[in-house]
Amino acid sequence: MTERAPECCLDLRGTPCPLNWVKTKLRLEEMEPGRRIEVIVDQGNPERNVPRSAKMEGHRIVHAISQNGAVRICIERAEESAP
Amino acid sequence: MERVYFDHAATTPTRPEVLQAMLPYYTEHWGNPSSLHLEGVAALEGVERARTHLATLLGADSDEIVFTGSGTEADNHALAGVAHALGDKGDHIITSAIEHHAIHDTVEHLGRVGVRATHLPVDEAGLVDPDAVRSAITDRTILVSVMHANNEMGTIEPIAEIGAVCRERGVLFHTDAVQTVGHVPIDVRRMNIDLLSLSAHKLYGPKGVGALFMRDGVTITSYVHGGGQESGRRASTENVAGIVGLGEAARLAGEEMEQETAHTSGLRDQIIGGILGAIPDVLLTGHPTQRLPNSASFCVAGIEGEALLLDLDQEGFAVSTGSACTSGVSEPSHVLLALGLPPDIARSSIRITVGRGNTAEEVDRLLEVFPRIVKRLRDMSAHRPALAERVPHD
Repeated sequence: MTERAPECCLDLRGTPCPLNWVKTKLRLEEMEPGRRIEVIVDQGNPERNVPRSAKMEGHRIVHAISQNGAVRICIERAEESAP
Repeated sequence: MERVYFDHAATTPTRPEVLQAMLPYYTEHWGNPSSLHLEGVAALEGVERARTHLATLLGADSDEIVFTGSGTEADNHALAGVAHALGDKGDHIITSAIEHHAIHDTVEHLGRVGVRATHLPVDEAGLVDPDAVRSAITDRTILVSVMHANNEMGTIEPIAEIGAVCRERGVLFHTDAVQTVGHVPIDVRRMNIDLLSLSAHKLYGPKGVGALFMRDGVTITSYVHGGGQESGRRASTENVAGIVGLGEAARLAGEEMEQETAHTSGLRDQIIGGILGAIPDVLLTGHPTQRLPNSASFCVAGIEGEALLLDLDQEGFAVSTGSACTSGVSEPSHVLLALGLPPDIARSSIRITVGRGNTAEEVDRLLEVFPRIVKRLRDMSAHRPALAERVPHD
């Protein structure tokens, strides 16, 4: 079975922490529960910060793939985000 | 006495919903948005959510919004920033004769550092001719700045056409949209706008916060230097609660613009019809139809606008006049003089701008009081000119 593709993509390369997570969060808020977004972040702190913050708010990290100096993170929106 | 506020072009009351959205950013989320910890992130979330709301209202991307301390600051930032950034390409700015002082005085200031300016005239309704913009552009022109709507007489300028001319000639286009954002539909892409200034307190947001839209790809020199906030485009720790208020005001305005416009334009037309119908020698200033939905402005021949304002104030009505009283001498407005009005007629201006909270009953009360005050002031005046013979379009 092939993995369900994300519905939208947010390129956050060059966007520092924590702005990359805040932009991700605002986009997740616009999405229906269960929908997926792919965010592309820089390696280093962003690749740790964005998934960690997403998980803290109850979202699911589907995968994180390093590619050409960046990281593609697929996040599935939670049914109910933590406040 | 119950007060009636008819001066919404000066400022609007902060909506309760806007205040409610702001309060947590004083009491709970008071962190610095530049801080990396959770307290900082909570404040940053408020700022970025507001940026998204405002961008949606303008048809822009959120990264194209720069928050400022006011509309005036945004105007200064746009003009000085372009003049500085493009100084090696040219030294000529085109603007109009009816701009707000935030533009007019900034252009004058830039003149002291070698920037030349062309002030385009307007017709008797206050309109700038897009063809006149085309004719005024030279190979030294770096910016055209024409306001979206005039604050004194309410005329809405053909900025989409002016923007198209600028785009065609490769010149940046800025518009001061302080009076229109939240009241008139704006689409920065369709209108060919490169830079746009706005202020929160004109759309039921708080005072002390504004924004500058900067189209992606437009680079201007920062106006305030320091900590690198706003992606290096405007330093200063953000006015977080104010920005949140602007964002909420923008969100509400976008949702309710259609019904609010129907409400305010109905009241505006009631005022215009009532005053023109009841009082002789009164001139509606500005364009008869292409005008702000909330703005009615008149010249009432034979009296000082300020005297009329003060008498209306005593009767419980807050309105405005275009003339500014300095040392007891009333100075006619540069905007009304630009329409070709004689100075004494320009001194007789009165502006009535309605808002979402006003009612038809309040307008009825104004229309009862207004003719009585005008008659009394005219009776006191030794001289009452025949307006019809003295204005350019009669």
